[in-house]
Amino acid sequence: MTTKDRYRVKAITRRSVLEATLAGSALVAAPALLRHAAAQQGPIKIGIPTVITGGYAILGSQVMRTCRLVKKMTDAKGGVIGRPIEFLFQDTQGDPAMCVRKCQELIERDNCRILTGVIVSSEAAAMLPKLEEWNAVFLSHGNGDGRLTAELFVPRFFRANTSAPMGARALALYLKDAPEKKFIAIASDAAWGRSSNAAFEEQIKAVGKELADKIYAPVANKDYSTYITKILQSGAQGCYVALQGDEARAFYSQAAQYGLAQRVQFFTEIVAQADIKVLGKDSLGLVGSSRYAVTYDIPENRAFVSAFQAEYKNEIPDWSDGEIYQALMILFAAIEKAKSAEPMKIVEAMEGLEVTSVKGPVLMRKCDHQGENQGFVVKVAKNDKFADPVGDIIKIYPREMTTPDCRSASFRNR
Amino acid sequence: MNWFGFILAQCLNALSQASILFFIACGLTLIFGIMRIVNFAHGVIFMLGAYVGYTANVVTGSFLVSLIVAPIVVGLVGMAFEWTLLRHLYGRRDGGAYLLLIFGLAVVLSEVIRLIWGVQPLGTGIPDFLRGIVIILDQPFPLYRLFLIGLGVAAAIAIWQFLERTRAGLLIRAVSQNSEMVHALGTDVDMVRTGVFGFGCALAALGGVLATPLVTAFLGMGTSVVIDAFVIVIIGGMGSFLGSIIGSVLVAFVQVMGAYYFQDLALAFMYLLMLFVLIIRPGGLLGKED
Repeated sequence: MTTKDRYRVKAITRRSVLEATLAGSALVAAPALLRHAAAQQGPIKIGIPTVITGGYAILGSQVMRTCRLVKKMTDAKGGVIGRPIEFLFQDTQGDPAMCVRKCQELIERDNCRILTGVIVSSEAAAMLPKLEEWNAVFLSHGNGDGRLTAELFVPRFFRANTSAPMGARALALYLKDAPEKKFIAIASDAAWGRSSNAAFEEQIKAVGKELADKIYAPVANKDYSTYITKILQSGAQGCYVALQGDEARAFYSQAAQYGLAQRVQFFTEIVAQADIKVLGKDSLGLVGSSRYAVTYDIPENRAFVSAFQAEYKNEIPDWSDGEIYQALMILFAAIEKAKSAEPMKIVEAMEGLEVTSVKGPVLMRKCDHQGENQGFVVKVAKNDKFADPVGDIIKIYPREMTTPDCRSASFRNR
Repeated sequence: MNWFGFILAQCLNALSQASILFFIACGLTLIFGIMRIVNFAHGVIFMLGAYVGYTANVVTGSFLVSLIVAPIVVGLVGMAFEWTLLRHLYGRRDGGAYLLLIFGLAVVLSEVIRLIWGVQPLGTGIPDFLRGIVIILDQPFPLYRLFLIGLGVAAAIAIWQFLERTRAGLLIRAVSQNSEMVHALGTDVDMVRTGVFGFGCALAALGGVLATPLVTAFLGMGTSVVIDAFVIVIIGGMGSFLGSIIGSVLVAFVQVMGAYYFQDLALAFMYLLMLFVLIIRPGGLLGKED
């Protein structure tokens, strides 16, 4: 090669530009394409940003145990659309900011675009504006705040569970014929508690009963003596309770010590098995709306309870277990229908989907993505089939009666 | 409505709440008084007391035995921690080392509790002899809360007498005022510190056992209680035993009355009270301004 040849500038042709562009694009796009291909063939990843430590850890532990059971059951049947499922658990500590961070990690690090298992309504509310950016779909299994499918509605969010207004509605329908005329309501001063109390107030007034007062106890409140005194003084015959977890146990324990149950009938929006287990005989006679009734006698529920008790040594599934199980069954049905785990295809498939699961038939209505669930009212009593008292069903209301107006937490047109 | 009966019921509610707060705040202030460290693990120690008390109750079937066993076990855990880890930092001037070590203790203890007892809440209820209500001026009041008030008053008097009238109490007060002088006079100051740290932990544990019938034992039960305790100690004066009694009663009354009359501002009132006291007396009601 002569010196002239060495320094000669080779002419840039259109062909060489195209070749270089194609080679560069392939180099840049290859990892993403490979990742995409792997995502289409590997396990279906489901992100569970839940509460593992902190005040609501018990609800998170219920979500996780049922997810593990569902994985075992589903993988044994050959998975979903022929693919195994993989749950990715993250600890949000019940903090909305932490929840968003953990979801971001699931999206960016694990390429996980399906989210469920979120415990606190304020966490769910913080996630909604990010779903579009994340290209993710979020299915609520237990978030109660009525606004999530009303004014906060986003197309990538679905709620499979009974919401707080729906729970309050079922109870109000039951109370219409109850002997109690005057009520007082106590709720946790959080999004869910306020939503529940507001719905109860609207509903109980609609059936012609009186609501004497509404009490909002601070989140994580431990001493309820003042509120119990207030309830005693109100002269109410019935007390609506929208507290859960640590707050509910503290309230019922202290109410029992004051003999409040002998003077006032308690009605609660959520009957929780974990509370019944700890409260023992203090829980007997409690009437409440139940998001999931372990005693509901249909084949789907019998099979779930049987599998659950075999896996967890006769432990009784709680409402959170039943709700996450139902949510996952709806999710899998949507994936099967879409024949894909792509978020937007799941969204399309889930709109109008009807699935019969542990709570009976559920319709994921298209207009606001709220699952139309039946309303269960139960009374806590001893049951020969279970080691602890459980909620025995005293009334079931059809889903048309217990689901609010579209994109609303109200029942004006029902 | 019997107005006098209502006020009396609210006062008794506040005193029963003050009793539990006193046990945790008193331990916190004693530890600060003698060691000049803020024990951020106190809430977790309160929780440990509740869980150990639960196990003692289940094993022996006696609530009263759990009231004795849990403080002893948790007190020994506290002494072991002070003896093996904390005392090696006394010579250091940077407060960060204490802070990290105590924060580490809180994290480790929380995880140990989770691993041993699990995440499920635990409750044993109250013994039959403390069940039932007493009618005071037409207002029902639980026997158990009267027991709490009685126990709180008895414990406050006993600790006060111990600090004021015994040689051990004299040594504790002396160490809190001038530990170098006490050491120069031949007293084993390290032993006094170990004992006081263990005693403070035992008091918190006793509070945990007493709180279990009210709230059940669960992970995180110490979080809000320890915040109340810090407010009490700041109001009463860091290191002041009498201040912890006054602070407990004030905070409990503000919480109870605030929750009844101004429920939306109930929490804010406690902090407003603290702010008010700090403006008037920056060292707390009975504390010293360093």
